[in-house]
Amino acid sequence: MASRRRMLLKVIILGDSGVGKTSLMNQYVNKKFSNQYKATIGADFLTKEVQIDDRLFTLQIWDTAGQERFQSLGVAFYRGADCCVLVYDVNVMKSFDNLNNWREEFLLQASPSDPENFPFIVLGNKIDIDGGNSRVVSEKKAKAWCASKGNIPYFETSAKEGLNVEAAFQCIAMNALKNEPEEDIYLPDTIDVAGGGRQLQRSSGCEC
Amino acid sequence: MLPHGDDEEKWLAEGIAGIQHNAFYMHRALDSNDLKDALRYSVQMLSELRTSLLSPHKYYELYMRAFDELRKMEMFFREETARGTISVIELYELVQHAGNILPRLYLLCTVGSVYIKSKEAPAKDVLKDLVEMCRGIQHPVRGLFLRSYLCQISRDKLPDIGSEYEGDADTVNHAIEFVIQNFTEMNKLWVRMQHQGPTREKDKREKERSQLRDLVGKNLHVLSQIEGVDLDIYKETVLPRVLEQVVNCKDELAQHYLMDCIIQVFPDEYHLQTLETLLGAFPQLQPTVDIKTVLSQLMDRLSNYAASSIEVLPEFLQVEAFSKLSNAIGKVIEAQVDMPVVGAITLYVSLLTFTLRVHPDRLDYVDQVLGACVKKFSGRAKLEDSRATKQIVALLSAPLEKYNDIGTALKLPNYPRVMDHLDNGTNKVMAVVIIQSIMKNTTCISTADKVEALFELIKGLIRDMDETQDDEIDEEDFKEEQNSVARLIHMLHNDDPEEMLKIICTVRKHIILGGPKRLPFTVPPLVFSALKLVRHLQGQDGDVIGEEISATPKKIFQILHQTIEALLSVPSPELALRLYLQCAEAANDCDLEPVAYEFFTQAFILYEEEVADSKAQVTAIHLIIGTLQRMNVFGVENRDTLTHKATGYSAKLLKKPDQCRAVYACSHLFWVDEQDGIKDGERVLLCLKRALRIANAAQQMANVTRGSSGPVILFIEILNKYLYFFEKGNPQVTSSVLQGLIELIKTEMQTDGSSDPSADAFFASTLRYIQFQKQKGGAMGEKYDPIKI
Repeated sequence: MASRRRMLLKVIILGDSGVGKTSLMNQYVNKKFSNQYKATIGADFLTKEVQIDDRLFTLQIWDTAGQERFQSLGVAFYRGADCCVLVYDVNVMKSFDNLNNWREEFLLQASPSDPENFPFIVLGNKIDIDGGNSRVVSEKKAKAWCASKGNIPYFETSAKEGLNVEAAFQCIAMNALKNEPEEDIYLPDTIDVAGGGRQLQRSSGCEC
Repeated sequence: MLPHGDDEEKWLAEGIAGIQHNAFYMHRALDSNDLKDALRYSVQMLSELRTSLLSPHKYYELYMRAFDELRKMEMFFREETARGTISVIELYELVQHAGNILPRLYLLCTVGSVYIKSKEAPAKDVLKDLVEMCRGIQHPVRGLFLRSYLCQISRDKLPDIGSEYEGDADTVNHAIEFVIQNFTEMNKLWVRMQHQGPTREKDKREKERSQLRDLVGKNLHVLSQIEGVDLDIYKETVLPRVLEQVVNCKDELAQHYLMDCIIQVFPDEYHLQTLETLLGAFPQLQPTVDIKTVLSQLMDRLSNYAASSIEVLPEFLQVEAFSKLSNAIGKVIEAQVDMPVVGAITLYVSLLTFTLRVHPDRLDYVDQVLGACVKKFSGRAKLEDSRATKQIVALLSAPLEKYNDIGTALKLPNYPRVMDHLDNGTNKVMAVVIIQSIMKNTTCISTADKVEALFELIKGLIRDMDETQDDEIDEEDFKEEQNSVARLIHMLHNDDPEEMLKIICTVRKHIILGGPKRLPFTVPPLVFSALKLVRHLQGQDGDVIGEEISATPKKIFQILHQTIEALLSVPSPELALRLYLQCAEAANDCDLEPVAYEFFTQAFILYEEEVADSKAQVTAIHLIIGTLQRMNVFGVENRDTLTHKATGYSAKLLKKPDQCRAVYACSHLFWVDEQDGIKDGERVLLCLKRALRIANAAQQMANVTRGSSGPVILFIEILNKYLYFFEKGNPQVTSSVLQGLIELIKTEMQTDGSSDPSADAFFASTLRYIQFQKQKGGAMGEKYDPIKI
């Protein structure tokens, strides 16, 4: 019954400070929004139940600090992620330019077994601001970047208005589910009933 | 014994292996719904977290492994209790039988999460129990991670307003109480950590503590996310309690970090409305805390908030944010006597940025900040810390950038006082910044008073500031600086002649002190600026004659005379000579014969007494001839005197060819091709003949000395002069004279052994010209007809 593990889908949200990572998560999980800027410290997650093809999954959504000085312990929580969400602010060019850094940093630290096909999703947030008049990153430009990185799905969102948030996370969940789990497959070579045995080896064999 | 490098990797690997091993059996137990075994293996798995061998980073990796496994346990607990195999209360009791306290508490928190979710007990009670139980772990690293686990699993189960776990009327307070208690305990563990272990590993421990800081800070993030924490509750409960903890822990690292966290995690509005409380904490912090960085971050944050929308500005006014911040900074600087000057200035820069954004109309605030800086500097020697001076440049540049108008800065009494405290180098940098701002915005400085103030500001560029002649000054830099001053002088302008004259006098007063190195850069732009005024007055043509005015061309010429004289001390006679000639020409246009004559006299005196280099003499004499040729103001007598001198000096130049060329140039002094111009054909011819004689002499000299080629080219040049006057109708220059000269040149060229290609070409094209004129027909053709080539 390996399915117990697969009921949990782990998602990491990354992006520059102030692009709305926490707001997107809060809008999706709690249907709440606050205009006030509050920095995130370290990393924490909220969960939400999602239904995909009549099956119920728990989405574990990790919100992270965009400011580097609030990430003092490092990024060990990237481990085992099923999908990585890259967020930028359509009104801030720099936040878009940095997407590449976030993506590469994630691949480097999480080191998924198949980096080429690891599911990412890009969200261009804050499309509501100033009726879109202040945006500096065009949809075309963002889509072109996504296409160049192996057709990353792209959504334009407004955490404030709740625009596209549900759809984006539905897509995130679907893609997370498609990701092959790469939990280290572990088989003990000796059955040590008392536990605590240290003469262990990792097996490279298959799951069955 | 603390781990190093490879050892640590090994221990981590062993820890991970232990977790994987037990997790394997735990999964099997879960798959067969065997609660007893599941608990047993999870306890063994969690025992791996009892290690003391790992640094926080590595421990975090281990913790994350266990964390992921615990999610499966949590799901299992939920399923089991849902199926009714066991009640959540029983489960809560059951896990407490685990032998080791750390695994027991991890499991308890995990069940606690399910317990709250089940709503079989009020969230606040379960949370209270958990946060109390966690006291059982007093090892800092293990305790911090355990409590961070509690923080995480309770994150979405706080009895917040609007949450599904909302309780009685006091519900938010329970939520806050829980988080603050956890925060307080974590902070204690974190602070205490520095005292554990040998002193020699203090640095390493501080580094590890620094890595752990976000575990503590995360509680503040959770607090800020609680919906029920409105401004009132924040003001009355949250902020005072958090600050109490921060102040009382008396730990440098914690205080700096937590103040930063408070500023970053809570919203701008809250900070504005609690500024007094927040700022009140700063003087209570340890003296070693880097308050300036934190305060600067607060001000930067508020500045950005102010800039975000005009609608929020009234909030700032209402709470008198500026005076509060200004006060707080004053107190901090007073309290921290050891704070380096750069720290104080950094604070003032932030405050200035703040006020420029929030109160752009309050120049008095800007001046107040500058004044505070001056106060801080008073009694000190000039600043030499490069970081400090860099900050001052930022401080002084900010108003210029904001207002794009030096006029505004000139209105600030404290602005020059701050500059007085800069070392000479920085003073100059700042002066250049000021000039660049003026140039960039093409700001016209239009009154003498402003000019006075401006020159006071940039005095570092205008004169030497101390006795020690700076030998290390880079020549290029110096030139660049002085060129910028020269550019600046052209930006000082007023259409009113009286005011403009005052401006000129003010500038003169300052630049005259510049010393020999600067004058050659600064005098010319001033001279031309004054001449511009002269032309302006001349254009008005005596409208104001008879009035009590001082701005007359005569008066200006007098000033110019004195100004140019200053160049003699440099000495820079060639430049002075040029400028005298410029003035003479302007005086000519103003119809001021005595003045023009005086300038010429000065030019000649310079030529006689100061211009010694033969090349410089050649240049100077040609300038004199050229200028004199254009003068029409002189009466016969004056003119004769000057032309006589000019031709005399021409003939006395060092080298024959130079003599020859200057003398034939003098011929133009006697033939001005204008309506009423002088046309003295005889004297023209005298000059040309004299030039010929000199050319002959030069030829002979060349033959003697080198026995070879002479300067035939001089003859050709003279021929061209003849042609000019021939065409202009000088009766003395006839076709036969020309014919003779052509023959002469031909003979010369034949006898001359080696040929000079450029002379050949010149002669050929001269002949071609004559040919062309002959063939043109008409009057000119007839005139040329007799000449045979």
